[in-house]
Amino acid sequence: MTTTTLPTASEAAPAATPSGAGKDAAAIRLSAAGLIRSEWIKLRSVRSTVWSYALLVAFSLGLAAIMSGSLDLQGADVSMVPAANQAIFVAQASTFGVFFGQLIVAVLGVLTISGEYSTGMIRSTLAAVPNRLPALWAKAAVLFVATFLVGLVSTVGSYLVSSAVLSGKGLHASLFDPAVLFPVLGGALYLGLIAVFALGIGTIVRSGAGGIAVVLGIVLLVPIVLQMIPAAWATSLLPYLVSNAGINMFGLMSFSQVPIEWWVDLLVVLGWLAAGLAGAAVLLKRRDA
Amino acid sequence: MIQAQSLTKRYGSKTAVDAVDFTVQPGKVTGLLGPNGAGKSTTMRMIVGLDQPSAGSVTVNGKPYREHAAPLREVGVLLDAKAVHTGRSARNHLLAMAATHGIPAGRVDEVIELTGLASVARKRVGGFSLGMGQRLGIAAALLGDPAVLILDEPVNGLDPEGVQWVRRLMRHLAAEGRTVLLSSHLMSEMALTADHLIMLGRGRVIADAPVADIIGGAGSNTVRVRSPQATRLATLLAQPDVTVTAGEQDTLEVTGISAVEIGEQAAGAGIVLHELTGIGASLEDAYMALTQNEVEYRTGGSAELQEAAR
Repeated sequence: MTTTTLPTASEAAPAATPSGAGKDAAAIRLSAAGLIRSEWIKLRSVRSTVWSYALLVAFSLGLAAIMSGSLDLQGADVSMVPAANQAIFVAQASTFGVFFGQLIVAVLGVLTISGEYSTGMIRSTLAAVPNRLPALWAKAAVLFVATFLVGLVSTVGSYLVSSAVLSGKGLHASLFDPAVLFPVLGGALYLGLIAVFALGIGTIVRSGAGGIAVVLGIVLLVPIVLQMIPAAWATSLLPYLVSNAGINMFGLMSFSQVPIEWWVDLLVVLGWLAAGLAGAAVLLKRRDA
Repeated sequence: MIQAQSLTKRYGSKTAVDAVDFTVQPGKVTGLLGPNGAGKSTTMRMIVGLDQPSAGSVTVNGKPYREHAAPLREVGVLLDAKAVHTGRSARNHLLAMAATHGIPAGRVDEVIELTGLASVARKRVGGFSLGMGQRLGIAAALLGDPAVLILDEPVNGLDPEGVQWVRRLMRHLAAEGRTVLLSSHLMSEMALTADHLIMLGRGRVIADAPVADIIGGAGSNTVRVRSPQATRLATLLAQPDVTVTAGEQDTLEVTGISAVEIGEQAAGAGIVLHELTGIGASLEDAYMALTQNEVEYRTGGSAELQEAAR
């Protein structure tokens, strides 16, 4: 480290020392790894992140418990239920929280960037990373990984909760049954992706309230509005909405008459994400900070 | 070293910075001085790439800021004390900034110590006073041990002890051979801290010279005269290139003629003088003289008010 002696706040006469660059000065430069680390520090050091993730896990586990606990078999013989159907029910209980979780992580995604705009932090960020886009990519990567992992904790946790409750009622399914594992992974993946989509929107809008309104509008409102339009085109658009594709992807609900492959849904979600991030990148690069 | 060539920034039809050329030399403290709206902050923001110039260019150590591999090692910048997320602690803010460049955590603690923030480093920035925010901004600017420092109104909100510290720090950094550019609208501060001044008015450079030259060049020929026959004296002194302003209680302020000549003319006419003083100009006088026509938001003035009301 360079050890130039500068006058400290309490010290009087400054000792003039050469502004010597230390031995490891060459190692001090912008790097992708550094930007990732920086964004990770930023993400974990604000309360909104901690709150959002805690809520996500709590909601998921709670909803899994409610959904599996409220299943009333009315004395039916569960041994007659095919294993495939048992697995589907366990999967539904395990991923039910994703419905609500997507709203929480969407808000978090917007706040991750709008918080920088509202506080002026963005100027510090962009002064350190004057090419700007690497900072956006790092932010997106960190947000995706963190949200995916917390999402996984909540879906796997929800599986543990619901399978514990349901096994008491005679319903069994292994986590590694593809009918369970795919939704559990897919739900977490979708949470990570929708958070990054929201980050893109937040970067475009630059305001917390505005960004949240736009994202929740796209996630919640547009599907409802389209469903209310009694026209064929509206119905045929439904599977291509980001939230519908995301939910279809982990097999909780279908919005299309013909079954859609999970990878098509994934592409649809990625398409929305790419559009959001592309808009964010263009504007971030072009606008004055 | 910072070099600006025809640097211009327009916002719509309004030109905030109008084709300015200047060079900020290493080894001294350069002050960027000007009234509100003169383009000081915009100029600083363009240097570090936060604002894109509409025309012209500006380089830092020979290259546009964004082309440096380690921008924080080149330039440390304090644009305003509020460029920090209020929900994060000071230390975490600095750690996040440092991480981008792989600056070790030890350096973070060093700048925290240096700026006197140790006792509040783990507190959330939202609760900071203006002065503490200012110290945090300076800490962030020093993180990369940069060759160039750009500080927008660094003493804003600091207590007298803090002001003195910043002044010493700036002088010290310049003495180490660094380039130090600071802006202020406080002339007294500039007179004490800066070696060289770049004065901006309405987006143009209206002076670019050593502080001593700017002070010396303004108002050096103003003379204050007090006489019971002030009115007669004023008539006597009236010449095309002489300005006489009546002050309070028989006092005249005269420019364009030396104290010696005034004394001789008064003696010739038999006018009694009670005072004859050459007024040493302050930086403030120089500043007022230079920026007289450049103040964008003058108090009063119906045209400006109407414009502001629109």
